[in-house]
Amino acid sequence: MIDFSHVTKTYSGDTVLDDIDFSVSPGEFVVITGKSGVGKTTLGRLLIRDLLPTKGKIIIDGEDLSKIKPKNIPPLRRKIGFIFQDYKIIPDKTVGENIALSLEIGGYSPKKISDKINRLLDMVGIPGKENLFPVQLSGGEIQRAAIARAIAADPPILFADEPTGNLDKETSIEIFNLLKKINSDGTTVIMATHDVTLIDLSSARRIMLEKGKIISDSESHSTKPKTKNK
Amino acid sequence: MNTALKNIRRTPFQALAAIFVVSITLFVVGIFTLVTLASHSILLNFETKPQIIAYLKDGHTTDQVAGLISNLTSTQGVKNAIYISKQDALELYKKSVGNDPILLGTVTDWGIVTADILPASVEITASDPKSFGTIVSILEKSDVVSETPASKKEIDFPEDVISELTKWTNAIRMAGLLLIIALTIVCVLTIMIIISMKISSRRLEIGTLKLLGARNFYIIKPYLLESVIYGLVGALFGWVLSYITLLYSTPFLAPRLGGVISFPIRPEVILLLLLSLLVFGLILSFISSFFAAARFVKRSK
Repeated sequence: MIDFSHVTKTYSGDTVLDDIDFSVSPGEFVVITGKSGVGKTTLGRLLIRDLLPTKGKIIIDGEDLSKIKPKNIPPLRRKIGFIFQDYKIIPDKTVGENIALSLEIGGYSPKKISDKINRLLDMVGIPGKENLFPVQLSGGEIQRAAIARAIAADPPILFADEPTGNLDKETSIEIFNLLKKINSDGTTVIMATHDVTLIDLSSARRIMLEKGKIISDSESHSTKPKTKNK
Repeated sequence: MNTALKNIRRTPFQALAAIFVVSITLFVVGIFTLVTLASHSILLNFETKPQIIAYLKDGHTTDQVAGLISNLTSTQGVKNAIYISKQDALELYKKSVGNDPILLGTVTDWGIVTADILPASVEITASDPKSFGTIVSILEKSDVVSETPASKKEIDFPEDVISELTKWTNAIRMAGLLLIIALTIVCVLTIMIIISMKISSRRLEIGTLKLLGARNFYIIKPYLLESVIYGLVGALFGWVLSYITLLYSTPFLAPRLGGVISFPIRPEVILLLLLSLLVFGLILSFISSFFAAARFVKRSK
């Protein structure tokens, strides 16, 4: 489903990702770990074709992202729910309107959008908050709203970039459990985090990055050989 | 639509500036449309009237007149040449003076105006004012055209009134067109700047929408709608201003142009003007915002 093949990304001569090579199967839960600045976010941006690799190939469902036509980028992005590290919740729209954006972009009818928002808010644990603005929510609630927006259009893949970065331990665990629940419903989840608590809790596949390289991959669901340089 | 209306409410002064510029532009367009229509009617009125009248000697024969008319109509630039007999001249005179007893001569010493005292004539309409010289030359050579005591042929023609009128109407149209072009450019640039500023201030939101998989059209749609609202509201104001101007100028224009243009102006003309201004406003605003939005969205990731 997702195949990173010897991907290298450099910014103005600085190598952020170096020969990254791994695959993710449908329905998998993968935790990508590593300190801040090791390239976790870059990995996510490459996945949604916000960036192009300097070298190597990224293939999603058989489609090479380097060769994808500009008109096919929006449909690709709709296949990947993205939980941004900085939430990217639009401040002057209500929670409901923020979630509705994903659904409108996905072509849902207004009636379906309304029904789905209520269900999503129930699912992420902030029922009845659709008319509140982000400024009226706590950090954990904003993160839940961001998760609701990311999964609203039922994408087959969810990339969560530091979803618990600004949250307390208890809320982080709740968010992590929510992601596990989303995964149990069939969504492939890739979570990028440096949160040790969550890494310890997780029985999922763990890929560890250091200085832009994969230094460990706990488990291989892929047929490809993995770099394991512990 | 909700997003477009929200954008307008958020920045009322920018919205007012856009509507003001569109209104002024379309007011000028409306006024010049009316002026162009009026000048066209005036020109048409002059063109359909006989432009050269040659008075004939008494005692002319039908063959002489037929020969002159044939000679004239075969000349390039002559639309038609009509023979007006003494009796026709009397009828035209009566029609022009109405029932005025003095002008009809019923109360004067010299008695009733009769056909005998009026000359027969040939009235010539030219399709091209440049042919006036040729026509006058034919008439001057004709034996059937009467002469003044000073041996000058009795030919009336308004020299180059039509040509002057055409020149003036063309000049007015050209000035109007240039003004409209200048105002249209100002209008397009104003809307482009306003929409660019709005888009620029929401670039983070646009970036998020793109990352969520929104197509460019989904992103620019609210801005296009917002601009179209400016265009339509501006067109409506421009039309109202044009109409008010027309209403206030009617008492001044009616006595001067009454014979050429019928006042008050027909409602269908006014409605057609509204429709034209709305379409023009729509196109103007759509194009301006489309270029502003497309340029920004293309540049942003």
